[in-house]
Amino acid sequence: MNKNALPRRAVPAPTASREVSYRHGEPSPELKLVTDALFRHIGKPVPRKEDERLITGKGRFTDDFNLPGQVYAAMVRSPHPHAVIGRTDASAALALPGVLAVLTPEDMLADDLQPIPHNPVPSTNYDVKLRASDGSFPFVGPHYPLPLKKVRHVGEVVALVVAETPALAEEASELVDVEYDVLPHVTATAEAFQEGAPAVWDEVPDNVLVDSRFGDEEGTDAAFRRAAHVVKRRFHIDRVTAVTIEPRAALGHFDAETGRYTLYAGSGGAVRQKGEISKVLGVDRERLRVLSFDVGGNFGARNRVYVEFPLILWASRRVGRPVKFTATRSESFLTEYQGRDLITTVELAFDEAGYILAMRADNISNVGARCVSLSPLSKGSGLISGSYHIPCATLRARAIFTNTMCTQAYRSSGRPEVTFAIERMMDLAAEELGMDRVELRRRNLVPPDAMPYTNPVGQHYDSGEYEKNMDRAIELSDWDGFEARKAEARARGKLLGRGFANYVESSIGTPRERAEITVTEDGRVEVIIGTQPSGQGHETSFAQVVADMLGVPVERVQIILGDTDIVKEGGGSHSGRSMRHAGTVMAIASAELLADAKSRFADLHGINSSDIDFHDGVFSAAGVSTDIFALAQATAADKGALHAAHTNEMHTPVFPNGTAICEIEVCMHTGAPVITRYVTVDDVGRCINPLIVHGQTHGGIAQGVGQAMWELCAIDEETGQPSAGSFMDYGMPRSDNMPSFTCEIAEVHSPTNPLGIKAGGEGGTTPALAVIVSAIVDALSEFGVRDISMPVTPQRIWQAMRSAQRNQDNLDRSNR
Amino acid sequence: MYLYDTTYLRPGSIDEAKALYDAGESPAFLSGGHTLLPAMKGHLARHDRLIDIRRIPELQGIAEDESYLTIGAATRHCDVAAAPVVRNCIPALAGMVGTIGDVQVRHVGTIGGSLANNDPAADYPSAALALDAIFRTDQRTLTAEEYFQGLYTTALEPGELLVSVSFRKPEHAGYAKFRNPASRYALAAAFVAVHADGVRVAITGAGNDGVYRWHEAESALGHKFESESLDPLRADMENMSSDMHANAEYRAELVKFCTQKAVTNQNCITLL
Repeated sequence: MNKNALPRRAVPAPTASREVSYRHGEPSPELKLVTDALFRHIGKPVPRKEDERLITGKGRFTDDFNLPGQVYAAMVRSPHPHAVIGRTDASAALALPGVLAVLTPEDMLADDLQPIPHNPVPSTNYDVKLRASDGSFPFVGPHYPLPLKKVRHVGEVVALVVAETPALAEEASELVDVEYDVLPHVTATAEAFQEGAPAVWDEVPDNVLVDSRFGDEEGTDAAFRRAAHVVKRRFHIDRVTAVTIEPRAALGHFDAETGRYTLYAGSGGAVRQKGEISKVLGVDRERLRVLSFDVGGNFGARNRVYVEFPLILWASRRVGRPVKFTATRSESFLTEYQGRDLITTVELAFDEAGYILAMRADNISNVGARCVSLSPLSKGSGLISGSYHIPCATLRARAIFTNTMCTQAYRSSGRPEVTFAIERMMDLAAEELGMDRVELRRRNLVPPDAMPYTNPVGQHYDSGEYEKNMDRAIELSDWDGFEARKAEARARGKLLGRGFANYVESSIGTPRERAEITVTEDGRVEVIIGTQPSGQGHETSFAQVVADMLGVPVERVQIILGDTDIVKEGGGSHSGRSMRHAGTVMAIASAELLADAKSRFADLHGINSSDIDFHDGVFSAAGVSTDIFALAQATAADKGALHAAHTNEMHTPVFPNGTAICEIEVCMHTGAPVITRYVTVDDVGRCINPLIVHGQTHGGIAQGVGQAMWELCAIDEETGQPSAGSFMDYGMPRSDNMPSFTCEIAEVHSPTNPLGIKAGGEGGTTPALAVIVSAIVDALSEFGVRDISMPVTPQRIWQAMRSAQRNQDNLDRSNR
Repeated sequence: MYLYDTTYLRPGSIDEAKALYDAGESPAFLSGGHTLLPAMKGHLARHDRLIDIRRIPELQGIAEDESYLTIGAATRHCDVAAAPVVRNCIPALAGMVGTIGDVQVRHVGTIGGSLANNDPAADYPSAALALDAIFRTDQRTLTAEEYFQGLYTTALEPGELLVSVSFRKPEHAGYAKFRNPASRYALAAAFVAVHADGVRVAITGAGNDGVYRWHEAESALGHKFESESLDPLRADMENMSSDMHANAEYRAELVKFCTQKAVTNQNCITLL
């Protein structure tokens, strides 16, 4: 690697002093003590406390809950992508003995249910502002639990049936006769904003609900005028679904005596569900209790309210019995909130030396039939320039309606899409400029001394050593041994390709989080927190933080979450926020608890609190010592439980970053790809538990690779029908098609929060799409293949080889 | 998701099974159920009786004679794959059966269930056709050519029970399969068997009419049994099925490649 081929370009000095404030207050003496403490558990690969419970079938998932007298709901779903709902005849269904109710949109209106207040437009100071083309707040399409006049995607619920058994409910749902007046539909992202496309909502005749422009148009135009090279491409990062191992489920109960609703439903955060569903039902928040314990996968799909949740609560009130709903896998494929679906057109202007002068991007996000979240468009918009210093950029960000299931933030919302675009562009530009693709990247990376760095669309990167990540990944991948491996593969009839991708992503998330910590008299530390794990191991990593802070064994710390009667506040788990927000608020609450404990110890022994030493959970001074549990017990009668509660707000985002390199062997005859090497270096900020972070990285990689290689929510454009509705057609990452990963954690502590945490849940996914396609294209380069669309299935690869070969043959023939 | 009302019955003999079948309104034999049960759960099929024939003694067992290897229709895949007699006699057959579905499927699914269903992407039909199998039912005996009648269709009459399948022992044989990356069924697979009287090549997963013999490949290999003999050939595109995972052109290519691999790797299986 020749790092010094050309002098580095000057990058503007850090902008933080002017524009960004990282002040989170002078740490209190206790918090300082806490952060300065010898981190005993933090940073250690403590095995997950929850695993034994989960793998021995003792998990508490939604479908595990049952209430006496419960009955079952089944949904009547639209078979059409777009239609006016006509007369609904439920008589045949109601005639079956054991069918209790068939509820329709008319019933819903009569009971005055309200639309789900998804609040899809990101609103923190750090989110880009997305508006309609006339500058107004975007029309998002009201999301009533049952649609009022029209169905707008296949699978939309048009009525629900409640019956004594699940089988009966299902059978009856097939007997509900709904008349439809079928309308023309549009499902393809590239078609929906074209003239003449059928309007999904009359309120938005062109289907474009958001059309915003950002950046420095004049400067960008000027830079493009003086560019030596311009590279332009369009990419479609297509649609996938989360395929959580636990399908969504809900058990709802209305207690007529107390007038209170109870909902058991796994989600990304019970507090949010409580807030939004109570509004749908038109009741005070405190009249709804939501319980969400173990959750079998989320990945974003469970963060927003599903119509079935308010529907079964309402149905319970109507029939006077608890009502349960458990989605089938088919329903999950059809109607779980889906991910990605972005078309992006990117243009890069380079000078003679390969430095990027400016960028233009045009991003179009397919939100589906209603807008439940603009997070993917928003998150991606802020990171179009990736890990590179691009002085000037413009972006047009559009969101469009189509007759498809709604899209939502999906693991690393928006970032894999724009990372795919910028990283593919770097490969393509290197090829067109005749430069080495690593050198081209190296030349344009944001250097550490420019941190904090403001990118051309206004995001402030907090910290990071991008070039170091890149060099370490290159080293780990045995970069120099590639040619020998390629020759060896060739001898076996395989084409070896190598992919490369850098990434930077942002982690923002709901800014508020609350922790309540109590040292119990029976010798435990209870921590109440409002995040919601779905496999991330919070019960372990959170316990590690509190155990460190209070100097107690990690086994004694118990994390309590998921019941809104106990957890009053909490932002849930999304956008890589949990460890950072929960870690910080738990640290602050621990510090407050220690301050209280110290003064109790001083009072107990009549000594000056400044002389007290605290070590390993033991307070000592002047020859006396008491451990924190004994202290809690001794002072409980006088001063109540040893307890602290703190609500913290942190708005400043963090920017995890890293590099991924992979190698893929492609069979020359069948196009079948096999990943043979996969290396990542991920800067997650401070790593609390490397075992869990590595697990997150591995899962994240599989999820990103899944989209790149197999997964696709295919839709037949003619009929509007989804055509990959089961595992027969929807390919998944599996243990046998994944390689063994080489992952290294880089810890550049973030200056934005006391623990220096960034995030570790999404970095595996973010560069995976780009690095896989990069490797495939590299493998096929000798055929003249320059790009290929995802998923890179054997058939697609074979066709790319084939058509490139045919073009070459034609060329040879015409030259002859 | 939920079956319509049905009655599960488990007879102990062929006669009892037949009687139960005759007394039903819309009965079905169950011999694994990996296709039947999902179809019933999806409400695509409705049967008042499910007659589980897997425990009937007359349908069990694996036996060898001079010319044939005979397997009882209710023998599970795991038992065929693990049987020393199968492994010694026709290693490619044992190997092939070991690639059906996954471990759970192989411990429930049976040879008879698979062959009676005749899924166009199933493995067994290609082995039966290439190994010139004889199908014994409770009523008659059929050759493989007579038995396979197209997609999900066989010569079995309603209520007719497959009792055993006898595979003609080849000099040697090989099986090569290219799996659908999503379902893991064969996107194309070839069973190539060399018998004293000639080569038989059976293709599954690819034909739009189900399993078929590739006669051009058979005669090319009859002249010289090496993969290069197939170089000038191309599988008949007219005969290829086409779906989102593989169009006809790609399938034709896979058919040829699988056949070549099956020729090269005789007495074993090749997963591509």
